[in-house]
Amino acid sequence: MKIRKLFQKTQFGIFALFGLIVLSTSALTIYTVQTHLSTEYESNSRNIAKTIADASVDILLNRNLATLQSLIDQFVEIQGIRYVYITSDNGEYLAHTFVPGIPEAIRNSDPFETATVKRTLPGMGEFVEVGSPILAGFAGTVHVGMDLDVIGLKIQRAIGQQVYLISILLLVGVLGSIWFVNLAARPLGDLLAFAVKLARQEEPDGAQDERILARDDEAGELARLLLHVAQHKNAPDEPPPPAAKGAG
Amino acid sequence: MSTQSRNPGDKRVQQDAGARLTRRTVVRAGLAAILAPPWLHSLSPADAAAIRGIGPDGEIVLGVSAAFSGPSRGLGTELYRGAKSYFNHVNENGGVNGRKVDLKLYDDGYQPDPCVKNTVKLILEDQVFLLFGYVGTPTVTRVLPMLKKFQAQRVYLFFPFTGAQPQREPPYGDFAFNLRASYRQETAGLVNNFMRIGRQRIAMFYQADAYGRSGWAGVRAALARHGVEMVGEATYRRGSRFTGSFRAQVEILKKATPDAVICVGAYAACAGFARDAVDLGLRVPIANLSFVGSENLLNLLSQGQDDPDAYARYLVNSQVVPSYEDTSIPAVKEYRELMARYDPQVPAELVKEAYTPFPHSFVSLEGFLDAKLMVEILRRLKGKPDRTGLEEAVFSVRDFDLGIGEAVSFGPDRRQGLQKVYYTVVEDGRFVTLDDWKAKFG
Repeated sequence: MKIRKLFQKTQFGIFALFGLIVLSTSALTIYTVQTHLSTEYESNSRNIAKTIADASVDILLNRNLATLQSLIDQFVEIQGIRYVYITSDNGEYLAHTFVPGIPEAIRNSDPFETATVKRTLPGMGEFVEVGSPILAGFAGTVHVGMDLDVIGLKIQRAIGQQVYLISILLLVGVLGSIWFVNLAARPLGDLLAFAVKLARQEEPDGAQDERILARDDEAGELARLLLHVAQHKNAPDEPPPPAAKGAG
Repeated sequence: MSTQSRNPGDKRVQQDAGARLTRRTVVRAGLAAILAPPWLHSLSPADAAAIRGIGPDGEIVLGVSAAFSGPSRGLGTELYRGAKSYFNHVNENGGVNGRKVDLKLYDDGYQPDPCVKNTVKLILEDQVFLLFGYVGTPTVTRVLPMLKKFQAQRVYLFFPFTGAQPQREPPYGDFAFNLRASYRQETAGLVNNFMRIGRQRIAMFYQADAYGRSGWAGVRAALARHGVEMVGEATYRRGSRFTGSFRAQVEILKKATPDAVICVGAYAACAGFARDAVDLGLRVPIANLSFVGSENLLNLLSQGQDDPDAYARYLVNSQVVPSYEDTSIPAVKEYRELMARYDPQVPAELVKEAYTPFPHSFVSLEGFLDAKLMVEILRRLKGKPDRTGLEEAVFSVRDFDLGIGEAVSFGPDRRQGLQKVYYTVVEDGRFVTLDDWKAKFG
């Protein structure tokens, strides 16, 4: 694709501008999606923990641990939730979903913690854990662990889709800009070729010359002016052809 | 405001009630009255329409959702075989008050969601008379709320193959009747015996679900009564196969240096654990609950072994029925005769994986006893198989002799028929009753 020297800087400017737009939009998207999804997942986890906590009160008071286990097992089927465990008011682990056992990191943690905690569990991965007290903590605490890998994967997928769209827009923009630049540069090329021909004192005769002379824009005006100058350089009294309306 | 019944049976009743009385209708009704079985004469049309679970030939249809596929298919198959042998015997001898007993079977693979779907189908589409012989705690605990939902229709669950507490206690205890002893009783018995012989450091290997938790809670409570705590615990995922590795669980428990391990699981995983425990040097008594399916467990542990007791010598299994080898027990003798006569097989359409049944097993004996008591209860309905009379019929069972030497009684505050727990160990490739814990494990 031939780009006139005159527009090379413009072309570079367009690339740079699009690149800047893509980078800044991607960065903003990554930040927004990551923040939004992380917040949403944490919020969902907290809601789930609260739901379990609310549903657990009677079950816990009746010491019906099989039903309690059945309850938490259903929540682990939700995508993103990797573990749920319930600690009693004295910190005992009453029900959990860990296989093959409760990780040491969990055993060594505060069983009453309800704030958001990031955990790395060997062999399992990285998690965001939230807690919710049962009966204001008098009956125990529910802990829900969300898999950061799953969240990360979802965030990557969301960002990937955004970047994919922006990249397509960039490609279309760049191709479009090249096409437009070439469209703008072609009359200048014709004009240059026409001027060179005049300078060589050759008669305008080709279709290319006809096309440039027939244009009603600045390139056509300039071509006709150059032709006039060339034809009448030995007859200076003859007035130049009238300028087109609006021509500068 | 009018309410529209979602029950197809109700719709039919409404349509019938609205039907015009023509000469043709009267003639048909007369013919039906002459040809109908005798028991129908005692029922008003409204009563007859209200009856659920009666098949086209007047048979009583019981709904079953159990594991006929997957790693625990042996449990559903054996339980069915035992129950079916007795139902076949009853049907061949005139049925219950002139009616045959039929089983409508569905496979849930020991998974809660299919079990719930099957139950909906059994209640709403098949309109079975009652639910019978369900297998497993995670499945039954998910079905119990549904029984509460349909409490107006008085759908009861009879004799599920689980010893968990939810179907024995409020809020769902009113919708189920149990025959077998509970896991709480089984685990308490195991713990008490271990404590008695000085094995105080008890660890647990259990299924990570409601069943495992039920057993865990039983062990924990029993240990608490002795003033001790569990020294370690490890879990496995439901559906794990014998071919899988349980070394991670064994390593966890080895660190706790237990004197005994109580397993609450199904046979495939418990056999895998026992194998890996012995291989890794954890050579302590390994106890299993009745649900495990003792013969299947032993079968897996004996396969390909020069010494068939190499892995099995550490086993001690609690049972909720007496030994099927003891033919001095009348019910056992009857069970063996009927199993030999009928040898029932699971219908071919439910068989997805090959399974070779045992001629006799603790699970099929339990199924047999379940069926025997079920028939007695249906008999007490006295020719009027109406769900509304079921509870009364059950409560009328007092000191009933099932033929195993333990009287069965039910009442409003007693929804479990049997209380006794038996203990067995492996000797010469078969389970025998354990009489002397001290001599075996002391």
